[in-house]
Amino acid sequence: MLKYFIVFISITGGLFSLELVVIGDKNFPENNLSKETIKAIFLDKKRFIGESKVLVMNHEHEKPLRICFEKNILEKSEKSLERYWRKAYYQGKRPPKIVSSNEMLFLYLQSVQPSIGYVDVNATLDKEFKVLYQIECE
Amino acid sequence: MHKHLLILTLLSSSLCATETESYGWDIPNTPINIGGYLDMSYDKKREDKFLFNDIAMIFSANQNRFDLLGEVELSHISLNGQSNSSSDIDLNVERLQLTYAVSDEQSLRVGRFNSDIGYWNQAPITILQDTTTTPHIVGNFFPKATTGVLFNQNINENNSFSLTFQDNNDIAHQDNIIEVNRHKALAYYGVKDDLSWRFSLGRYQESNHKKSTYMGMGSEYDGEDFSILAELFIQDTELSDEKPYSGYVQSTWHFKEEQDAVLRFESYKDNALGIEENIYLLGYVYRPTSNIALKAEYVHHTKLPLNRFVYSFSVLF
Repeated sequence: MLKYFIVFISITGGLFSLELVVIGDKNFPENNLSKETIKAIFLDKKRFIGESKVLVMNHEHEKPLRICFEKNILEKSEKSLERYWRKAYYQGKRPPKIVSSNEMLFLYLQSVQPSIGYVDVNATLDKEFKVLYQIECE
Repeated sequence: MHKHLLILTLLSSSLCATETESYGWDIPNTPINIGGYLDMSYDKKREDKFLFNDIAMIFSANQNRFDLLGEVELSHISLNGQSNSSSDIDLNVERLQLTYAVSDEQSLRVGRFNSDIGYWNQAPITILQDTTTTPHIVGNFFPKATTGVLFNQNINENNSFSLTFQDNNDIAHQDNIIEVNRHKALAYYGVKDDLSWRFSLGRYQESNHKKSTYMGMGSEYDGEDFSILAELFIQDTELSDEKPYSGYVQSTWHFKEEQDAVLRFESYKDNALGIEENIYLLGYVYRPTSNIALKAEYVHHTKLPLNRFVYSFSVLF
């Protein structure tokens, strides 16, 4: 009985947990990135990968994936990010480009190099890109 | 009529923003963004009417390693129309700067820019601050703006320093007390998680050839529920000791999603004016959306007759 219960918990847990992967285009100069570096890239503190300026993509506001990204990678609340971008705009910084779907993100990854974004791990099948960081959403 | 139309346009454009971190308008097929801000305040000790303190346009353009940033400000327009004579309205180039990023670690900036000194001066406009009034150090201890060159070096991800150099007249007229034609400064910035700290050391020469040296330090804890910011500056002027010190501690409590409470304690000494006093401030901030702020604060001076309520409305668009 206990065995069935454990299997049930693992399956339902697996169904509801979200795993996020930070991905770069297939020729992205780095093979993996630290959380600190990803944070710096998405907050417009680091703009260059190698010699080139990187295109950074984010998902729309209030998408579960974005909430996961902000909590687990940027480690900032929505209000805190609001405060950050208000000041950053005044200083000439720009937030990442917003993409409305994974398809749009993949399209940019194929056509702009270097470029970086993040998707749900399940959305990555049959696509050409580099996985730079992987994290399970809390 | 035009003023009311302007306010309506700004309000409607600000309410239409969908992404909370996006401001301004990206001109299609160009790297240019145009936005701005306005702030209106009511301060009975200054003028017994609502004033447009600032209406400013911000434009920026990023192309490869170059960043252009400009801020042109129209200030001191009253809502009752009585200050519309050209002598009352100021048009000023607050910033006009070109930055070249040598790499992520090094950058070089030329033009007129906010001096890289202290915390407050990094974003010295009402919408970006938690209070309408500014601490005494702002505009009294170092030049708010520099027309010259700034070199920035990131030592690593947590530490950076900058060097400022000016040896010419200001390209714009100053809207603050200190007008300089020479300014040299060294500033250090460090950060670890939610805690950061700054040190600054500089020397400037005013248009009347008076030379001053200043030194400042500050620290900020910027947490989810509350933040604390403290700064202390000292200054030494040739042949006199006009402003021995000025410092403040300000805490902001983000007690509701859209509401903050602010408490500030200041202390300063000004020998030129013969004043040594404390200032206490209690404030409330309401931000219905990310780019609008309504503020009310009470300011209490222990010596000067400047105790008062101050109210403001500001928008970043």
